Amino acid sequence: MKKIQLLVLLSFAGVISVIAQQRVMEGKVMNEQSNVITHANVFVKGTIDGSITDSLGYFRFTTSQLGDITLCVRMLGYAELTVQVPVKKTMGLVLKLRPDNITLDNVVVTAGNFRLKGNGQFGKMSAVDIVTTAGSTGDLYHSLRTLPGAQMVGESGKLFIRGGDSNETQTYIDEMHVLSPYTTTGDNIPVRGRYSPFMFEGINFSTGAGSSEYAQGLSSVLALNTKDVSPITKIGVNASTVGVSGGGTQAFEKGSVSVNLDYQNLKPYYTLFPDRMNWIQPYRLFSGSSQIRFNPNQKTVFKTFIGYDRTTFIQQLTSTDNLTKRDFGMKDDNFYLNSTFQRTSESGYKIFAGAAFSYKNQHIDNAVIPADTYRDNEWEIHLKTKITKRFTDFLRLNVGLENFIRHDETTYTYSSTTHIDSINHSIGALFATAIFNINSNLYAELSDRMEYTSINDVWNSNPRLALSYNLNGIHFSGIVGKYTQLPENKYLLQNNKLLDEQCTQYVGGVYYEKKNKVYRIETYYKTYRDLALQEPTVLNSDGYGYSKGVDVFLNDRDLIKNFEYMLAYSFNLSKRKYQDYTELSTPQYATMHNASLSIKYSIPAVKSILGITNRYASGRPYHDPTKDGIMNSTTGFYNSVDMSLTYLASKKVIIYASASNLLGRKNVYNYTYSADANSPGGFRKTPVIDSSSHFFYIGIFITISGKTAYDVSNF
Amino acid sequence: MKTIKSLLCVLFIMVSVITSAQDLGPLVQNVNKATDVSELIQVRSQLERFIVAQPQQWLAEYYLAYVDVQLSFRVPDKSEKSQYLSEAETYLNTLSELKETDKSEIYTLKGFRLYALIASDPQTNGPKYSGEIINDYETALGINPNNPRAVILSTLFKNDMAKFMHQPYENFQKDVDKAATLLTTENKTVLTPTWGKSWVDFALTRK
Repeated sequence: MKKIQLLVLLSFAGVISVIAQQRVMEGKVMNEQSNVITHANVFVKGTIDGSITDSLGYFRFTTSQLGDITLCVRMLGYAELTVQVPVKKTMGLVLKLRPDNITLDNVVVTAGNFRLKGNGQFGKMSAVDIVTTAGSTGDLYHSLRTLPGAQMVGESGKLFIRGGDSNETQTYIDEMHVLSPYTTTGDNIPVRGRYSPFMFEGINFSTGAGSSEYAQGLSSVLALNTKDVSPITKIGVNASTVGVSGGGTQAFEKGSVSVNLDYQNLKPYYTLFPDRMNWIQPYRLFSGSSQIRFNPNQKTVFKTFIGYDRTTFIQQLTSTDNLTKRDFGMKDDNFYLNSTFQRTSESGYKIFAGAAFSYKNQHIDNAVIPADTYRDNEWEIHLKTKITKRFTDFLRLNVGLENFIRHDETTYTYSSTTHIDSINHSIGALFATAIFNINSNLYAELSDRMEYTSINDVWNSNPRLALSYNLNGIHFSGIVGKYTQLPENKYLLQNNKLLDEQCTQYVGGVYYEKKNKVYRIETYYKTYRDLALQEPTVLNSDGYGYSKGVDVFLNDRDLIKNFEYMLAYSFNLSKRKYQDYTELSTPQYATMHNASLSIKYSIPAVKSILGITNRYASGRPYHDPTKDGIMNSTTGFYNSVDMSLTYLASKKVIIYASASNLLGRKNVYNYTYSADANSPGGFRKTPVIDSSSHFFYIGIFITISGKTAYDVSNF
Repeated sequence: MKTIKSLLCVLFIMVSVITSAQDLGPLVQNVNKATDVSELIQVRSQLERFIVAQPQQWLAEYYLAYVDVQLSFRVPDKSEKSQYLSEAETYLNTLSELKETDKSEIYTLKGFRLYALIASDPQTNGPKYSGEIINDYETALGINPNNPRAVILSTLFKNDMAKFMHQPYENFQKDVDKAATLLTTENKTVLTPTWGKSWVDFALTRK
């Protein structure tokens, strides 16, 4: 019995001695550059034994753990470090932390890229910022035109970037292509985006040298991301000078369903503010859209977006040549379905799969001459899958496959004659990007896009190299890359052997951001070849050209309280021999100087945000047939002062008003001439101008549901 | 034999004492006592070690998210604020998926995190998150109308919005009093959230 008691006592003593044996751990925590890290959490894994580092990066604590131990170091912004410490080594430890994946992925600044929302560093913009930018009239594309690189092509409304044609900019929603991102409008009336800026959480606008993941964008890519989660149940309506709309979201525990309906009719507006056009039936638009989101868990997202819209109008047009009138009647149906799946596995693989279907059916009566009919039936299926994984601190890989299946058929009928052109083709691609974080300041991205276009049976390889270096917060970035795109369908329908158009881009830039101030300057040089060229007897791919310039951007939100300014300036020299330009000349849409200054001032005393934007562009080249050569004249400069006012009438009512071209300047975009010099009066010169001197928009947004407020209930 | 039993009991108690050093209770007390940045960073690091050692304790993650939000109010650097709020969001999203958590407290803390996000950049984040913050507090109060933290934070936010709209918030005093009463009468255990009094005190200085 005594032996047992002795044994227990010995055990007891043993426990006491274990408690008494304390090991001191001591050392220092630093980053890769050997700068000390303060407040890093250093501890023995699996216990609470540990301490935080002091202002000199030192730590010291005691632990009762014996034998070899696993020491763990944690610090926000850095990857967790675990090290095995042998029993004898307890003092003078030097532990070095590397930036974590989020920091590694976010620190990168890529030339040409504007991340307008989300975690981007340069040029953040929310939907509220977009609609409160004067001159945007609540439209995403109009708002983007205030950024550097965008050229002022007022009669179009589309994005023309860095000397590139509008079809060289592609729009993607949740990584899937959108065939018709713009609304259909009448002659010389600017288009708008089909989708509300409130739908999107992330807006990445690449004004050059875009990611190799995005296809068919020779100049630029607009990548829009819808919200993964919509946690608020809400209903709202709005009425404006152009129409009415309503919609809302029903949120569930693991997802949500959103619906939006919109009806626009410009008849009342034109009654109040007549424009220069002759409308037989003013512009009407009906659109309906819905989004379903399902998040079975935090790492998985299913999203489906479905949208339909129908546009109709009849506009009386007068021929420049013989002054005959015709009623240009448009009926346009658009459908877009986009379904995506994203999942991040436990082992860090990000898997993406998506399918999108775009459909457009356009019917125009009296399209070119009285009594003719033009129909365009176009659709596209886009399938895409990709996988992304960071393998080490040094390397992240992104590999994907995609396929576009396309159909376009145009039918032109006049009298008893019908002419049909049709193409069916596909584009298959494999893309791969390797991102190297050489150290926390130097980053390189090497990518390639192997693309096969079935219509002309051509393979293309589009390699791209991007480098970015951070010198004390000043980012230097450079990219060289090759991009290809099929010619526009109107050319492919005539000649399906045309080559893919090619562009090689060289972009370099310097960026700096500090405390709500952003400064960036970029220069670029682009060469084009294999452009579609309409020569007198043949349509071929012998077109070529170049575009070069400098973009400057300043944004300051800290200069004066509640005040923000954004200044953008672009200088561009662009020449091309392509399409109808049979000599190397500056295209009609390209302007040498573009500048915009936007200011916003929040006035809490009157619950309002005032925005003023001044946009300037130097004269546009145009072709005067009475002079020698082509594109031999220049219009006057463009200038427009726009204003907007957002007023929070109550927590459930927002009133938004905007007016364009306050000074009433008559901006001329181009001149058209009658084709025949022998027509009455010789060449008749007609200016292409805005359909009205001003555009006024007044809208009231009302939240109906009980829970939410200060929000536009549009998705 | 009795002596052996007694000794074994003492041994067991000793081991328990050693283990109890790793209990959450003292840490929660430290959370409730911490006021300045260094104290909050200290208790944050203790919670972080505790979570690594005992990952099954959801309340540790809840308190870590709470301390992160508190820190975001106090550190001056914007990127540091953003890192704390981003970590809090990750923990809160994980907690939302667990069945055993008190969802009223989770939604309150979600709203509180958004409140901190708005405080970090009112001009940008105010219009962006106002709807969601109201939604979070309303959801928290829907689950438990007597959650004093949801009552006081919701009251403060509504009052701020009413001030911005130049409108009176009639129920302000009544709601602050209600929160104060709920705080004194709620069932307090060592681990359950009890914070909120400082916000009632803050509210009393406001109007």
